[in-house]
Amino acid sequence: MTTHRLAARDLTLGYEDRIVVRDLDLEVPAGRVTVVVGPNACGKSTLLRSLGRLLKPVSGSVLLDGAALRDLPTREIARRIGVLPQSPVPPEGITVADLVARGRQPYQRWWQQWSDEDEDVVADAMRRTDVVELADRYVDELSGGQRQRVWIAMALAQGTGILLLDEPTTFLDIAHQVEVLDLVRELNVTRERTVVAVLHDLNQACRYADHLIAMRDGSIVAQGAPAEIVTADLVRDVFGLACVVIPCPVTGAPMVVPGQPREAG
Amino acid sequence: MSHRPYGHVLIRRPRFSFLVHRRSAVVASVLAVLLAAVFLLGLCVGVRFIPPGDVLRVLFGADESIVVETLRLPRTTVGLLVGLAFGIAGALIQTVARNPLASPDVIGVSHGAAAAVVFGLVFGFGGPTATPLTAIAGGSVAAFLVYVLAWRRGLNAQRFVLIGVGISVALAAVTNLLLTKADITLAQQAKVWMSGSLNGRGWSQGEPLTWVLLALVPAIVWAARAARSAGFDDDTAIALGVRLGRIRLGLVVVGVLLASVATGAAGPVDFVALVAPQVARRLARTPQVPLVCSALLGALIVVSADIGARMLISNAELPVGVLTAAVGGPYLLWMLTRSRAGGAS
Repeated sequence: MTTHRLAARDLTLGYEDRIVVRDLDLEVPAGRVTVVVGPNACGKSTLLRSLGRLLKPVSGSVLLDGAALRDLPTREIARRIGVLPQSPVPPEGITVADLVARGRQPYQRWWQQWSDEDEDVVADAMRRTDVVELADRYVDELSGGQRQRVWIAMALAQGTGILLLDEPTTFLDIAHQVEVLDLVRELNVTRERTVVAVLHDLNQACRYADHLIAMRDGSIVAQGAPAEIVTADLVRDVFGLACVVIPCPVTGAPMVVPGQPREAG
Repeated sequence: MSHRPYGHVLIRRPRFSFLVHRRSAVVASVLAVLLAAVFLLGLCVGVRFIPPGDVLRVLFGADESIVVETLRLPRTTVGLLVGLAFGIAGALIQTVARNPLASPDVIGVSHGAAAAVVFGLVFGFGGPTATPLTAIAGGSVAAFLVYVLAWRRGLNAQRFVLIGVGISVALAAVTNLLLTKADITLAQQAKVWMSGSLNGRGWSQGEPLTWVLLALVPAIVWAARAARSAGFDDDTAIALGVRLGRIRLGLVVVGVLLASVATGAAGPVDFVALVAPQVARRLARTPQVPLVCSALLGALIVVSADIGARMLISNAELPVGVLTAAVGGPYLLWMLTRSRAGGAS
């Protein structure tokens, strides 16, 4: 898999007349898992959406291998960047195998609807995400964890070097959260895939990120390896939370434990 | 184990490969055979029954019959084309609106056409050639208005349907106002057109309809594949490299053109565009509406209903739209209450 470079230059983002992110510069480390964290409404999802051209910048640009996204055909981008939005909607009544196969859309034409490569890549994506047994089930009837695996399979079938995930663990219980994040980690290790994910849970972010980006009010406050940047001061600064940071007993990654709970009564 | 999309047959040659949904293909073949049979029956029945053998001889030029050639053949052909057009239009509009209850009447086409036609009749430019044209103009303008008003940084499916209903109600009020102002015979004439009728329809309606349908064939072929992606949300579609905005606009334009042209030829034949896509989808068991099946089913419904309209009462003729509404309405209700998927949007 060829590695692609994704970067942002002077990026200003917003909706209607509200600016959410201002003059942001970013270099996404190639072949690494980057996790973006920050309080609600800090602009982390907005940033991810613009990296995946789901949102047009107000000014500045997102560069893919040096070319601005706005100058590239969306289909061409779809062969290099896969995006899993926060709450994707499947076509009604679609089966798992069909949905995963839709990931091949960027490679298909009206007269080229299915190739051997399509078949191989879809089979591989389904195997890696462990959804082969679900192939003939309807997506509507799956549990949250299964459905999320299917969406990831579709994004994998796109065969892109870059994968952007917007809160992929929301609505999942802790076992499924770990399962999904382990999968993401594994995709990166074995495939040298570049992953950028927005996560809510700071401890999960520390556990899975090679590169952590902490955002507040639309700007990057700190970035780097979790072990190097996550301190009680940073958490207070970014989230306004008093806490203690200790090494995780399992991975050794920084673990954030909030301060004394308020007394009952 | 194969991982190609479920239930599809792969047809492959070095330069191209097509996925064909097996069940859709079977359903389409059966519908085509039924349609041919009903079409033939439509040529046989009427005031005087002509045996199928005689009709076939006339069709293949071995015999002559004024009744078949100048009355029944054009009329049944118009019915067939109108049905095809409504079947496709309904499928495309339901796909874009993501709502099985959407149809050309919901997004203003039928009411726009009706208002324009009544306006034309009242102010003296109604007639065999003018009426279809005013209907097309009225339907397209109304649909354009709905589309533009529903546009807010992209087309919102829900706004699309709601604004369509609002505009339709307003247009219906305009139509009623015009009818109350109008002379009684004109009002009568307009009422018949508004209930959808194939009575007296001939080549003058059939010919323009044929040309428009032929001209739209490439667009329809494109739509059949493009419609697959319309079920995704905007973000997911863009992620897959699909320009959903353009696809939606294209599908609506093709759908509105087909519905307006068909309405111009036969009036708003109720429920065909609403029912055909949903029934076709249930028969073929596909996630999106199968376009070919929906078209064939639409034609089958209109041609059959027209036979019924001619046969039900002796000495008089029902407008075909009354029949499609009488059968289509209850059927739709039954389908929606019975099926789990029917109510979802």
